[in-house]
Amino acid sequence: MDIASSPRFFRRGPKPLTRLLACGALSLGLLVADAKLHLLDPARGALTALLYPMQWLVTAPPEGLRQLDTFLTTQATLTHENQALRTYQLELEARLQRQAALQRENAELRQTLNLRSQHGGNTLPAEIVYTSRDPFTFTLIIDKGSMDGVQAGLPVIDARGLIGQITRVQPLTAEVTLLIERNHPVPVMIQRNGLRAVMYGMGGQAEIRHIAAHADVQVGDMLVTSGIDGVYPAGLPVAKVAMVDRNGGSPFARIVCTPLAGVGENRTLLVLNETLNLPPRPEAAPAPKTKSRRKRGSDE
Amino acid sequence: MAFDRPKELLKPIKPRWIVLSFVLAIAVELLPLDATLANWLPDFTAMLALYWTLNQPRRFGIGWSFGIGLIADVASASVFGQHALAYSVISYLLLSRQRQVVMYNLGQQTLVVLGGLLISQFVMAVCRMLLGGPWAGSGYFIGPLIGALLWPLLTKVLLLPQRRGSLPG
Repeated sequence: MDIASSPRFFRRGPKPLTRLLACGALSLGLLVADAKLHLLDPARGALTALLYPMQWLVTAPPEGLRQLDTFLTTQATLTHENQALRTYQLELEARLQRQAALQRENAELRQTLNLRSQHGGNTLPAEIVYTSRDPFTFTLIIDKGSMDGVQAGLPVIDARGLIGQITRVQPLTAEVTLLIERNHPVPVMIQRNGLRAVMYGMGGQAEIRHIAAHADVQVGDMLVTSGIDGVYPAGLPVAKVAMVDRNGGSPFARIVCTPLAGVGENRTLLVLNETLNLPPRPEAAPAPKTKSRRKRGSDE
Repeated sequence: MAFDRPKELLKPIKPRWIVLSFVLAIAVELLPLDATLANWLPDFTAMLALYWTLNQPRRFGIGWSFGIGLIADVASASVFGQHALAYSVISYLLLSRQRQVVMYNLGQQTLVVLGGLLISQFVMAVCRMLLGGPWAGSGYFIGPLIGALLWPLLTKVLLLPQRRGSLPG
């Protein structure tokens, strides 16, 4: 029977199984291309831009309600708050003056030591548009994108400390991967004694791996960024040590930390758009001829 | 199709209703919710893909499910291809039994939909685990239960534009 002359109703294209295999193969290809090879970020950017008006429509009504609520706050609350804020401001100003003096002194000292100043650039306030619905990752979407000068890799903080790092940038929005994302490393330093370590996210909390069991770590120790990675500026508060487990059977202590920043609470964040004036990385030493197993495990 | 609902005659569906339904589902996906609440929210996009595959198999099939899945991937900021794969799979499974399932009453269809949504979530969880992610936790499978319970309501609402004299257009 001639296929071309049969009525349109009978023509149904390829079989469903063929279609499934085609779509399945395509999706698997996309999965690998996106998650392992990171080839699809431009396509994602374009699609996100298309979805942006819809996103705005969805987030606008709650925003309007919040503004109405702000407008209707009673005067008593405002006066009370005003007073509290005034006291707080005085306190902060005193602290700021002290810090200004310290900063000047520090700058002078650095100059004398001929050190490069590591900080420069500015900060960019951003607001959380929504948290990702994907339950496998800990990410936030903020309302600043490449058009505001956000780049992938910039650190993001809130009032209490480091929150995470920009991982994907679209024209109008950007994605922040939180500290607690699984295996997200942050080089930290224990503020009390300057011991350096690397903190890894565990999904909800974070841990310090590969630190000797006899190392001087106590519950309650404050962890700040060490600044030796070239990504995070030094001295940002990161987390507090919540538990130290020194198991006799293991050469390493198990250290669990809780992030300081309100990962699920704040709406406004600060993107640190700082350029770190670091000297160029020295050339890597030529690899030894003998077969070494170093390469393994360093692919993270 | 005339076989879909033997008890009443329906107007042919206009493609714009299909598009509008997906626009609304993606909008729900974009709602700013925290993770625990988001777990309770069923995957409306998957439910719509099932609904249109079941009731308009000549218009909506595996290819469209795949395309909608890609948009859902971007909307939920997950890995590209994750929703697309899951939706193609459930769309295929339903399509292979479409003539049978479409004759079921709403209660029986609810069970089929529960299975479909669970398979979709399972496919996505396995995808992420193969790519090195953690297991999503059992809370991840609450959404399909609620989605299945909402199926009769969703069917009634989506049939409205096809009923005679109920809506213009």
